[in-house]
Amino acid sequence: MTTRHATNRIAVHPVLGENPRQEKVRVLCDGEPLQALAGESIATTLRAHGVSIYRAMPETGSSRGLFCGVGRCPDCMMTVDGVLNVRACVTPVRDGMVIETQRDLGAWKVRV
Amino acid sequence: MRTTEIAVIGAGPAGIGAALAAARNGSNVVVIDENLAPGGHLRWTMARQTGFGPPLDGLRGDEIAFWAAGELRASGVEVLTSSVAWGLFDDSTVGVHTPDASFQLQAAHVIIATGATDLTWPFPGWELPGVLTATASLRMMHLDRVLPGQRVAVLGSGADADAVAADLAACGADLVHRQPGVDGVTVGGSGLVEWIEVDGARSGCDAVVLALGRQPDAQLAHQAQVASTYAADNGVFVVVRDESLASSVPNIFVAGDAAGVGSPARAFAEGSVAGEAASGGVGLSGALQRLREVEQHPESLPLMPRIADDTLVCRCEEVRAGALRAAIADGAVSINDLKRRTRSGMGICQGVYCHRTMSGMIAAEAGIAVDAILPMTARPPARLIPMAALADLEP
Repeated sequence: MTTRHATNRIAVHPVLGENPRQEKVRVLCDGEPLQALAGESIATTLRAHGVSIYRAMPETGSSRGLFCGVGRCPDCMMTVDGVLNVRACVTPVRDGMVIETQRDLGAWKVRV
Repeated sequence: MRTTEIAVIGAGPAGIGAALAAARNGSNVVVIDENLAPGGHLRWTMARQTGFGPPLDGLRGDEIAFWAAGELRASGVEVLTSSVAWGLFDDSTVGVHTPDASFQLQAAHVIIATGATDLTWPFPGWELPGVLTATASLRMMHLDRVLPGQRVAVLGSGADADAVAADLAACGADLVHRQPGVDGVTVGGSGLVEWIEVDGARSGCDAVVLALGRQPDAQLAHQAQVASTYAADNGVFVVVRDESLASSVPNIFVAGDAAGVGSPARAFAEGSVAGEAASGGVGLSGALQRLREVEQHPESLPLMPRIADDTLVCRCEEVRAGALRAAIADGAVSINDLKRRTRSGMGICQGVYCHRTMSGMIAAEAGIAVDAILPMTARPPARLIPMAALADLEP
């Protein structure tokens, strides 16, 4: 099964030029260290590394990824720092964040 | 319970216009917006804008958003970003959840400027990772500088679809396929998008962008039980408003795309009218005049495609077309009934991405006019909030 898409960072934006976000941070995604830019969304970081699959749905087990991009749908919900159902599209990355692909409805790992 | 004179929900062009007009008239204004910064869709719109009037005409959308953030600050407007207005209750009281607090905001006037969401239609494979909305693509490119894919298909027609296709190409994507709607399209791959097939012709791709138009997002107005009427050009029930954009419920105004999709400049002009009217300003006649001068560019929306029984309709609850057809054959002839029987529309998105398919299928299968199929009952929360938001609600 294919698990990655090609990587896609825009080196120099045709209208906006250089990316003002330069501060590099590191996150862990399913145990793999990934470099991110502080301020960008989790979904963006993952897509920049070719990771498109964010969860597997409870009924059918079908994989899902970024869909609406505005925090409305359940497709990009991941387990982040042990918290379930975090929307990757509207949640900025933080240094040291632990991101996990969510299967079914996930399982709580922390008390919040 | 907190209080304010004017609560503006949404800081897109309509909310900006409303808040600035009300603040000019000396009103106390609180703006609630779910994004990190004001501007709404303008933040990821690279096209130069017209119809806003001086000094904004000729600026890009993102530049107008930046201008607006400064103007709101300078006007003393309280802007709550990363915050959601999740409910609109009696006595124009808004349920608000911010990163720091959860409270009720009682306002003398509420201006709903919640904009529009992407319109989508189901087709085989549309749930695969790699299929995404135009808005998701634009945000990824212009806010975060990442392409949604390298070989991209764009489905949709009209100015907005042309813009997203042009932006993708300018940012370095290869456009492998373009067509007006989703009819005849199948997307496939093992676990994520690897190809798109149309009439037997298959192209390799890693993203499929849905640029099928927009739909008004007026959930809060419907929660407040405002009068609404079916608008064929929007394909949904829209809020009935008087000349000053007031709804049928006292002190509730609706401005911009939330009441029917149009241009950003029109939304801005509508916001100014609602802001003037709500704050009793002397500028109302001028704002009405500017609104009349803004051109409206209605675009025809794609019709519901043929939908096979095994195609997913409700993405949240994983309900397929066949299950909906069976329930309709069994007697479900309203959206609320169809929702209860199948769970379609019961998920986290609150039916945003399936309600139109549900009403279209009831119309087609049961022979009921689409304007006689009432929308599903709007209930709080209008946005995803943690249970703690209710547990911690300030009295």
